[in-house]
Amino acid sequence: MRRFMNWPGHSWFALPARWYLGVVFVIACLHKIAYPGSFALDIATYDIVPLQLVNLMAITLPWVELFAGLMLIIGFRTRAAALAIACMMLMFIAAIIIALAKGLDMSCGCFASQSAAEDDPISYLTVLRDGGWLFLSVYVFLFDGRPIGLDTYLARRKKAHA
Amino acid sequence: MQTVAKNDIGSSGGFSSGLGKALRDATLITLAACVIGLLSNFVHPEGIPFVAEKNYQTLVPCPVAGGKVTALAPGDAVLRSSETFLIDAREENEFRSWSLPGAMNVPYDYLDPTPAKVLKEIAGRIASSGARRVVVIGDGQQPDSGKWLGKEISGKGIKNVFFVEGGAKALQAASGSGGGS
Repeated sequence: MRRFMNWPGHSWFALPARWYLGVVFVIACLHKIAYPGSFALDIATYDIVPLQLVNLMAITLPWVELFAGLMLIIGFRTRAAALAIACMMLMFIAAIIIALAKGLDMSCGCFASQSAAEDDPISYLTVLRDGGWLFLSVYVFLFDGRPIGLDTYLARRKKAHA
Repeated sequence: MQTVAKNDIGSSGGFSSGLGKALRDATLITLAACVIGLLSNFVHPEGIPFVAEKNYQTLVPCPVAGGKVTALAPGDAVLRSSETFLIDAREENEFRSWSLPGAMNVPYDYLDPTPAKVLKEIAGRIASSGARRVVVIGDGQQPDSGKWLGKEISGKGIKNVFFVEGGAKALQAASGSGGGS
């Protein structure tokens, strides 16, 4: 097991996973940042978050997605970004499972608003997709060796100056 | 190319110290992102209040019934035909107060699609009755519950589905309330 965990090839597998996740999260946050009111309605539709927190969540969550996504793409504090994304994925998966259990016929609000509900309704396939992203974020968290990225550049620069 | 930073699992710091550092960084990232998000909301052209002032209207879209349904005049003789299967889409109390003989009551709810079990039962009864057409009687409102239930039934693959224009009210007026029970 330890041998598997320390296999150097993981770094290179984690690299495309890191970029893919980063791009997904940056794309996912754009609509939410542009239309916070629409995203607030999406959150309210889940009927999980108290009304007092709906707008705060709608304003802040997309920015956390943007920061985490960009950090994964540029390779800055990638493990922290992957951890933040894994936590968000757990939260999204739980919300979708609760909505499915309630029988809500709605969009997940992941990339667009509720107006897309007819084209992209939530289902257990949505849970499976989010589960895949959760797996990727955990993989990046565990195995990203930062072969390419800002952390690598900064570490080399620090070493050169030492 | 050599990896500069080895992953923390096998490093001397171990998993727990790596996790602690990542947790600390993740918390800082989250806080920084939240602050920027809150500040950006002030200058955002579509900014929203930090706390919602009123409840959101969160009615989720109803599934659209897609079957074909044809309008039928309330005085049409087809309504008295033995080859017509009658369904009444009104509430149970309205159905009890007046209905056409032999009609099956299936109350229609705009916000809740008719359960598949009920639609299956309707299809079974239509098939066993030997009827050649189905006529759904609604409340005659706009929209008409008979028309929408008819669309649901037709959407399940049942052919020759009709609804009565004006619903039960028009039927009562046409028959002088004499045709009902």
